[in-house]
Amino acid sequence: MFLTARDTVGDRVRGLELGADDYLVKPFAFAEALARVRTLLRRRANPTAADRLQIADLTLDLRGRRAIRAGRRVPLSSKEFNLLELLVRHQGEVLTRSIIASQVWDMNFDSDTNVIDVAIRRLRAKIDDDFEPKLIHTVRGMGYKLDPE
Amino acid sequence: MYRDRLRRVSLATRVMAFVAIAVGASFALCGWLVESSIERHFAEQDSDELRVMTKAVADVLHRGAEPPASLATALSHAVSGRHGVFYRVADATGQTLYQTPNIDLESAARTLLENDVSRVVHVGVWFAGERGFRGAKATTEVQGQRYSIVTAVDISFHERFLDRLRWTLWLIMGGSAAISLLAGWWGVHQGHIPLRQLGDRMRTVQTDHLDVRFDPDDVPIDLRRLVVAFNDMVEQLETSFARLSDFSADIAHELRTPLTNLITQTQVALSQSRTLPEYRELLYQNLEEQERLARMVSDMLWLAKSDHGLIKPVMVDLDIANEVRTLFEFFEAWADERRVALVLNGGSCTVGADRDLLRQVLSNLLANAIRHTPERCNVTVNIATEGQRAIISVCNPGEGIAAQHLGHIFERFYRADAFRTRHSAGAGLGLAITRSIVEVHGGGIEATSTGNETTFRFWLPVAASAQG
Repeated sequence: MFLTARDTVGDRVRGLELGADDYLVKPFAFAEALARVRTLLRRRANPTAADRLQIADLTLDLRGRRAIRAGRRVPLSSKEFNLLELLVRHQGEVLTRSIIASQVWDMNFDSDTNVIDVAIRRLRAKIDDDFEPKLIHTVRGMGYKLDPE
Repeated sequence: MYRDRLRRVSLATRVMAFVAIAVGASFALCGWLVESSIERHFAEQDSDELRVMTKAVADVLHRGAEPPASLATALSHAVSGRHGVFYRVADATGQTLYQTPNIDLESAARTLLENDVSRVVHVGVWFAGERGFRGAKATTEVQGQRYSIVTAVDISFHERFLDRLRWTLWLIMGGSAAISLLAGWWGVHQGHIPLRQLGDRMRTVQTDHLDVRFDPDDVPIDLRRLVVAFNDMVEQLETSFARLSDFSADIAHELRTPLTNLITQTQVALSQSRTLPEYRELLYQNLEEQERLARMVSDMLWLAKSDHGLIKPVMVDLDIANEVRTLFEFFEAWADERRVALVLNGGSCTVGADRDLLRQVLSNLLANAIRHTPERCNVTVNIATEGQRAIISVCNPGEGIAAQHLGHIFERFYRADAFRTRHSAGAGLGLAITRSIVEVHGGGIEATSTGNETTFRFWLPVAASAQG
C-alpha cells in the first residue's frame, strides 16, 4: 500500500500497476489509512461475497435490497440502503464523511456542507430510533461507524 | 560567434555604416561623371581641331603651290595662328613634304588608323616624353597623287588641367562626404535621445513603482509600439503583483484567525487543571479548527496548481443533465431538511469535461444556492445549448447579492457578507475554485442578481463528438 505525496493520476496508476494493493495520497486522515488497511486485511479473509449481511438484529438482503431490523422490514431509499450497506460492510471501522460521499454518491471531493450528517441522521431515524441497541455511532472529529455494542 | 557580435553592433553604427556606403558611392559616381564629361569635352574639342587642320592642309594640297613658292612653303602656312598644333604631309612613297619642326610625327603616323579627309573619325592619343598628343591620319588624292596627312594637337595642357581638377574634385567630394557623415552621425545621435530618455525612465520602474505609465503620444511614432507594449507589460505585472500581495495578505489573515483560536483555546485549557472529558473536548475543538485550516491550505494549493497550469482534467463525454440529477440525489436529504426543492429544466446535453471537477462545480453552486434559499422555495437548474456552448444556470430566490460585490465574488477570499459566509462556508475559496475549474475546461462563469433572485451561469464547450 502506497502512502505518498505523489498525487498525479499517472503516479497512482503506476503505483497500482507495480503491484500495490492500495494507494493513499498524503496528506491523508489517519482514520482513512487504518480503514484501508483493514479493508485489505478483510479482502484476504473472506473473498466470497455473501448475498446477506447480518449484524445484531439487522439483516441486509443484498439481492432484494431490503433491510430488516428485529424482523420488521425498514423501507429505505436506494442511497440510504447503499449507505447502510457501506456501514455494515465496514462495521467497527470509522468512516469519514469524505469516504462516505465518495463510496455512496461517487462525490470525490470535500463538500463544505453537512449533507452526510443529514443523510446519516435520516438513516438513524429509520434504523435506530425505534430499536435497541443503537447501531450507528458518531465518532466525533472523525466520522461515523456501525457497531453493535 | 561572429553573428552574435554582429547583432550587438550599435544602432548608430549600423545606420552610419549604411550612410557611409551610400554617401561614398554617390559622391564617387558624381566625381567620375564630372571628370569623364570634362575629359570627353576636351577630346571632342581636339577632334574638331584635328578635322579643321586636316581640311586646311588638304585644301592647300588641292590648290597646289603658287610659284615661286614651293609646296612646302604653302603647306607651312596652311594652318596659321594656332599654337600647339602639328602636322606632317607625306606622299605615297612616304617622303615627307612638310613637317612642323621639333616633333616626330613619323612614328606616330604608323600607329594611327587611316581616315578619309572628309571624315576624320579615328583619333589616337600618344605620349612622347612629358608631352601628350592627340592626332589623326588622313589620306587624300590630288591629280592621281596620294598624300598622307598627319595632324596632332598638344594635350599636355588639358592633361595638367584634368589632373588639377581631379585632385580638387576628390578633395571637395571627400570633404563633403566627411561632413555628411558627421551630420548623419549627429542626426542619429540626436534621433536616439528619446530612446535613451525612455530607457532612463523605464529604469525607474520598481516593484513598488508599478504605477508608472508612459504616454504614447509623448514619443516619436516609431517608439509608440514599444511604449504601448511596455505599458501593457507593466499593467499585467502590476495586476499580478497586486493580486499576489493581496493573496499573501489574505492567506496570512485567514490563517491567523484559526491559529489564534487554537492558541487561545489551548492557553485557556492549560491555565488550570482539567478533567479528562474537558481535555478531550479541547482536543475535539482543536481538531475542528485544524481541519478547517487543512482544508483551506489544500484549497489554496489547488488554486496555486491551477494557476500554474498543473490541473490536467481527464476529459470524458458527460451528459450534464445526468450529472445534475446525481448531484440532486446527493443534496436531496439536505435540501429536504431545509425545505428547499431542487428543479431541473432542460434536456440532455453532452460536454467534454472531467467528471469529478464538473461535479465539484455543480456541488459548489448548488450548495451555495440551497444555503441561501428561503424555505419552501425552489433552486432551479437550467440547461441550454447556445451554438457550441452548453449553458448551465443555477438560480435561487432569496436575498440577492449587491451589485458592488457581484464583480468580486469569484476572487479569492472575497466575501460579499463576511459574517454570514464565515459561518456557513469555507474560507471564501469555493467560488474561486469553481471559476478556476470552469476556465480549465475552456468555459466561463458569471453571476447576476436582482433584489430577490440570484443566478450563477457557467458555460462549457459542447463535446466534439456531440456536435453536428
